[in-house]
Amino acid sequence: MANAVIMPKAGITVESCIIGTWEKKVGDKVRVGDILFTYETDKASFECESTEEGTLLEIFFGDGEEVPCLVNVCAVGNDGEDCSALRPEGAAAAAPAAAEAAPAATTTPVAAPVAVSATADGATRISPRAKKLAERAGVDASAATPTGPNGRIIERDVRTLMESGFACAKAEAPAPVAAAAPTAAPVAEYEDVKFSGIRRAISKSMHTSLSTMAQLTHNSSFDATCILAYRKLLKNAGDEYAGITLGDIVLYAASRVLKNHPDLNAHMLDDNTIRIFKNVNLGVAVDTPRGLMVPTIFRADEMSLLEISKAVKSLAAECREGNISPDKLTGGTFTVSNLGNLGIESFTPVINPPQTGILGVCTITERIKKNADGSIGSYPAMGLSLTYDHRAIDGSPASRFLKELGQTLENFTALLAK
Amino acid sequence: MPKSLFVDPVATRAAGKIHFEDIPVNVYNKTIKEERKNFSDDDLVRIYRDIAVLREFESMLNQIKTQGLYNGIETTYPGPAHLSIGQEAAAVGQAYLLDQNDFSFGSHRSHSEILAKALSCIHKLSENELMTIMEGFLDGKALRAAEKLGPVSDVKELAIRFILYGTLSEIFARETGFHMGMGGSMHAFFLPFGIYPNNAIVGGSAAIATGAALFKKVNDKQGIVVCNSGDGSMARGPVWEAMNFAAMDQFHTLWENHNGGMPILYNIFNNSYGMGGQTRGETMGYDMLARIGSGVSPTQFHAERIDGFNPLAVIDAMDRKLKILRAGEGPVLLDTVTYRFSGHSTSDQNAYRSKEEMDAWHEFDPIVTYRKGLVEAGVTGDAKLDDILAETKERMTMICKAASDPVVSPYVDFKKDPAVVERIMFSNGVAEKLDDREPEVNMPLAEVPSYKKLKEKERAPIVDGKPVSKMKLFNLRDAISEVIYDRFYEDPTLIAYGEDVRDWGGAFAVYRGMMDALPHNRLFNAPIAEAAIVGSAVGYAVSGGRALVELMYADFIGCAGDEIFNQMSKWQAMSAGILKMPVVLRVSVGSKYGAQHSQDWTALCAHIPGLKVCFPATPWEAKGLMESALKGTDPVVFFESQRIYDVGEQFHEGGVPAERYEIKIGDVNKVRDGKDITIITVGATLYRAMDAAKTLSEKYGMEADVINLHSLVPLDYTKLIESVKKTGRVVLASDACVRGSFMNDVAKNLTDLCFDDLDAPPVVVGARNWITPPFEFDQYFFPQASWILDAIHEKIVPLPGYVAENGCTEAEALRRAKAGV
Repeated sequence: MANAVIMPKAGITVESCIIGTWEKKVGDKVRVGDILFTYETDKASFECESTEEGTLLEIFFGDGEEVPCLVNVCAVGNDGEDCSALRPEGAAAAAPAAAEAAPAATTTPVAAPVAVSATADGATRISPRAKKLAERAGVDASAATPTGPNGRIIERDVRTLMESGFACAKAEAPAPVAAAAPTAAPVAEYEDVKFSGIRRAISKSMHTSLSTMAQLTHNSSFDATCILAYRKLLKNAGDEYAGITLGDIVLYAASRVLKNHPDLNAHMLDDNTIRIFKNVNLGVAVDTPRGLMVPTIFRADEMSLLEISKAVKSLAAECREGNISPDKLTGGTFTVSNLGNLGIESFTPVINPPQTGILGVCTITERIKKNADGSIGSYPAMGLSLTYDHRAIDGSPASRFLKELGQTLENFTALLAK
Repeated sequence: MPKSLFVDPVATRAAGKIHFEDIPVNVYNKTIKEERKNFSDDDLVRIYRDIAVLREFESMLNQIKTQGLYNGIETTYPGPAHLSIGQEAAAVGQAYLLDQNDFSFGSHRSHSEILAKALSCIHKLSENELMTIMEGFLDGKALRAAEKLGPVSDVKELAIRFILYGTLSEIFARETGFHMGMGGSMHAFFLPFGIYPNNAIVGGSAAIATGAALFKKVNDKQGIVVCNSGDGSMARGPVWEAMNFAAMDQFHTLWENHNGGMPILYNIFNNSYGMGGQTRGETMGYDMLARIGSGVSPTQFHAERIDGFNPLAVIDAMDRKLKILRAGEGPVLLDTVTYRFSGHSTSDQNAYRSKEEMDAWHEFDPIVTYRKGLVEAGVTGDAKLDDILAETKERMTMICKAASDPVVSPYVDFKKDPAVVERIMFSNGVAEKLDDREPEVNMPLAEVPSYKKLKEKERAPIVDGKPVSKMKLFNLRDAISEVIYDRFYEDPTLIAYGEDVRDWGGAFAVYRGMMDALPHNRLFNAPIAEAAIVGSAVGYAVSGGRALVELMYADFIGCAGDEIFNQMSKWQAMSAGILKMPVVLRVSVGSKYGAQHSQDWTALCAHIPGLKVCFPATPWEAKGLMESALKGTDPVVFFESQRIYDVGEQFHEGGVPAERYEIKIGDVNKVRDGKDITIITVGATLYRAMDAAKTLSEKYGMEADVINLHSLVPLDYTKLIESVKKTGRVVLASDACVRGSFMNDVAKNLTDLCFDDLDAPPVVVGARNWITPPFEFDQYFFPQASWILDAIHEKIVPLPGYVAENGCTEAEALRRAKAGV
C-alpha cells in the first residue's frame, strides 16, 4: 500500500517548515534514506530522507510552500496505486501514515537526523558531552532536537541549535546557590553563588559585545510635554488604552524613525558585511528575577501603538514567568532598554550582538527654558542614550537618528497622524 | 618427527614382550652400629639435631595455631600450617648429601624440606661463605634482624638462627621474612642455599622443577634438582606430564653434545594420604608408588621404595641415586614412605584414620627410634641428646618471640607504603643476555638460509606503487621470526620449545628453518603436554634462563591453567622480587577450526595479576613487542592471530624497519586519524575496523580514529583518553566473546575517565557468547565491519539512511543476558 512521508518536526518550537526544493519528482523510484526534498526552518535547512520505499506517487506541497510539521508531504507506493487518502485534506489519512513511519522493528533504520522530540518515557535524555557543550556555550540544550539513539540529545544536536542562533539560555530551574558548609564552620563573610544558565549567557553575551565592538554612546533629551499629554489622554480613555506607557510610545516612535536609519536596524555579520533588515524587530530589555531578558516584538514597524503595548506586556509576563519560547528571544534588529522608571538620567546601554545599536530610555527631569516672552520657565525633558557600533555607523548619522527621534516624540501626535 | 629417526614398520610390528626389572622395596637393612663405619659420631648426632630442630619448629606452629601459645609466648597468625610432623627424618636424610648447587623444590608441606636443606648447607659451607651469603641477601637486612636476636657463639649458629627466623617471620607475614611475608608458609624458600619455592598447588612443583633441571642440562650447570611432592600429587596430570617431559627419548637420541638424562629426582614423601584421601587402597591404583616409574620410561626411573622413617636409609638411597643422576642417567623416582602425625591442617579432625593406626606409627617415630639407636650403638648418651633438645627449644623460643613481636618483626605497612605489592608485581628489567658465554649455534646468523630469506623480503606491501607478491612480502610471521633469530644469537640461555616447533617449524611456520641454526638443546619439540611446557619454562626462568615457549592454540591455555595463572604469573611477587620470570609464552588464536581452536582468551590472561599480555596485529607491532618481550624479565603472554600471519605492514610508514627496535609493552598503536569517532581494537579485528572506518568516511562523512591495543597489560590509557575526549564516541571491538571481553574493562575505564566528554556510552563489539561455529558461519559469530557500523548507528549516532543488519536493541541485549547466550 502507499505510505506517506511527513514533514519532520525539526524542533520543539517548530510548527511548520518551508519546502526548499524537491530532489525527486513524481514517478521516481525512491529507497529508504534517499533525500526527497530540502526544507527550512527560520534557523536552518535540513534534508528530508524518505522513510518509505517505492515510487513517488504524489507530491502534496511544492517548492517554497509552508507545511505544518507532521503533515503528509508526499506519498510513496507501488506504481499506479491510489494515494488520495493520504492527501493532507483527508485528515484521517495523515495519522496512520505518520504512525507507520515510526521505527517499529528492531533494525528499522531511523531517518536521521530527525527524531522524536522526547523519549518514550517523556524524559529528556542528553549525553554528558552534549550537556557540557550546552552549558559552556550557554544554550538551553532542552531546546535541541534529539537525533541520538533513544531520543537522546547528542553533541551534534546542540551544535545545530547553536548554529541556529540560540544565543540565550531559557530560564532554568532556580539558580543553585553555593551549598552551605555541612559542618558548623565559622560563618563565611561571603557567599560564592554559581551563575545560572541565563546569567552565564548574559555574562558571555555582554562581554563579547564590549570586547568585539567599537561602541560609544550619545546622550540627548527632548521635550516630553507632548507625549505626557498624550499619555494622560490615553489614561483617561480607559480600557486597554490606559495601559499604554511612555516606554511604549518611545518604542512606537523608534520603530518608525529607524526606517529612516537603516544602518541602525541591522546586524553586523562579520568585519565587512552588514545585514539591513526591511522590518523593525524591536528587542525590549526586560528585568526578570532570573536576570535580563530581551524578547522581540517582531515587525514592530507594522504594529499600532496599542499592539506594541500589548505585545510588550505579554512578552514581559512570559519572561518573568520563565515560559517564553526561545524563538521569541532571538531575531531582534534593534533594542530598546528603559531605565527611566528607576530615575536614571543617562546611561551607556550595551549592544546586543550582532545588532548595531541600542537605545536607552531615561527618566524625565524638569529643565529650565526661556519662554518666548523672555520669562524663565521649565519643561519636562526625557533623556535618550544611544549606543551604536562605530564600525557600522558614524557619529553624525547616529546623532541624526537621535535628533529625529527626539523631534518625532516632541511632535508625537503628528507621527500618529501619519 | 625428526627424519633422522626411522619409524621401522618391521620393528614396530614385531612380536615380543616388555621386560621390567624388580623394583626394590625398603632394601636398606643396616644398623647404626654398622653405619658408624661410614658416618662420624658427630654426623650421626647432627642428624638427630636436625630432626629435632624440624620437629620443634612445626610443634611450635601447631601450638600457635591450636592454642595461640608457645612456651609462654602468646601469638597467633591466620595463615595456613600444613605441617609434616613425623616426616622430618625423610627430609633430613634427603638433604644430607645435597649442597647449594643442588636445587630443591617443595611440596605444599615443606617447612621441614626447607629447613633440612638449609641446615645441611650451613654445615657444608665455610663461615666466610655463610657470611657472604647472609650479607648479600636483601642487602643484609635479614642478617641484621638475626643478629638482634642475641649474642651468638659462632657463624653456624648465627646462620641457623638466620634461617629459622627468616622462615618463621615469612610464615608470620612479616616484612623481615625472606620474601617480606608475601609468600608465607606455602611459598617460603631461600635461593642462596639452592632452596627453591614450595607450592600451594598439589604437584605444582613437578613441572617447575623439571624446568630447573632443563636449565642445568641445557646450560651445563652443576648440581641436580630434587622435586619434592606428596603421594596425593601422583594423581595429577601435570605431574605425569612433567615426568614424561623429563624422560623424553630425545635427550639420548638427538641432543648431540648434551645427550644424557635429566638431572632430576622426583622424591615423593609418601605418607599414604592426599589430605584425607588414602592413596594406596582408596584413590590410587598403583599399590606401591614406586611402580609408576615403570610406566614412564624403560629405566623405570630407577625407582625404589625407601623407609623415610630411617634417616640413614634415605641417605643411603640418596647416595646411590645422586650417582645415577650425575652420570646422566636420570630421572629418578623415590617412593619415600613416611607418616604424618599432625593433621593435614590444624582443622583436621582425623576423621579418615583410626587412633590405632596413628599409635602404631608413633611406635616408629624416628625422633624416638633413631635416638634410641644412637644411644644403643654407643654413639652418644641421653644427656647429650637432652641438651640438644633443650638448646633447640631455647633457640626456637627466642626466634618465636622475635618473629611474633610487631616491633622487632613489623608487618609491611600498607598505609605508609600502599605501593609495596605494586612494586613487586613486575620486575620490568631489561637484560640483553642472562649469561656471558657465547650462544651455542650451528652457524653464523648471516649464513642461515631462512634468515637470509627473511632479510631479502620486501618490508612494505607496496613498493614503487606496485603491490608486493605474498611470497616476497615481509609479514607478521617473519617479524616474529626475525626477532627470535636475533635474540637466539645474543642470549645464550634463550631456548624455545613447544609442540612441533623444530622440524615442522611450528604449526604456523614461525620457526621454519630455524633448526638449521640451532642445536636441539636450544630448539626442540616438546611432548603434547601444555602444563609441562609452561611449567618447565617457569622453572627454567626462575633458575636463571630465558624461555620462549609456544601453545599451538590459545584454546590450550586451559590445559596449562595452573602453570600460567598460578605459577608464571605469581612467583615474581610471591618472592618479593627475588625471582625473575623471563618467559614469553606464544599462543596462537585460531580460525577455521571450530569451537576448541578459535578462541581469543586474552581476557583470561589479562584478568590474572602478574602477566603482561600482548596481541600484536601488524608486523611492525609484532617485531617491536617481541623484541621487548624477549629482552624483558617479566612473563609475557604473546597472542598471535592465525588470520593475519601473512599480512604485511600497512600502517607504519616505510613498512617494518630492517633494524631492531623495541615497542614498549603498554603503548597503543594509532593507525588512523579522525575526529568523529574512536574505534579501539584488539587482534585481527583491526582490519575489519579499518573497513568500517572506510565506509564511515566514504558514505557518512565521518572520520574515525582507529587505535589498536597491541598491549593489554600493562596499558597506557593516555592516547585512548586523548582520542575519546576529542571524538566523544568510542566503539571497542575484538574477536573475544563479548561477555567478559577485555574490551569491557577498557570501556568501563574510559567511561570513568572521559564521562563528561562522552556523547554516548562506549560500545563493545565482540563475538557472540556461543561456541565458535564452523568457519562457513564466521560472519554470524565474529565481529564484522558491519557490526561496528551497526553499533555506531544504533547506540552512538544514527547514520543517515543506514540499515542495521545485526543490531541489538536493549530488549534483545537483556534477553540474551537472561538466556546466558
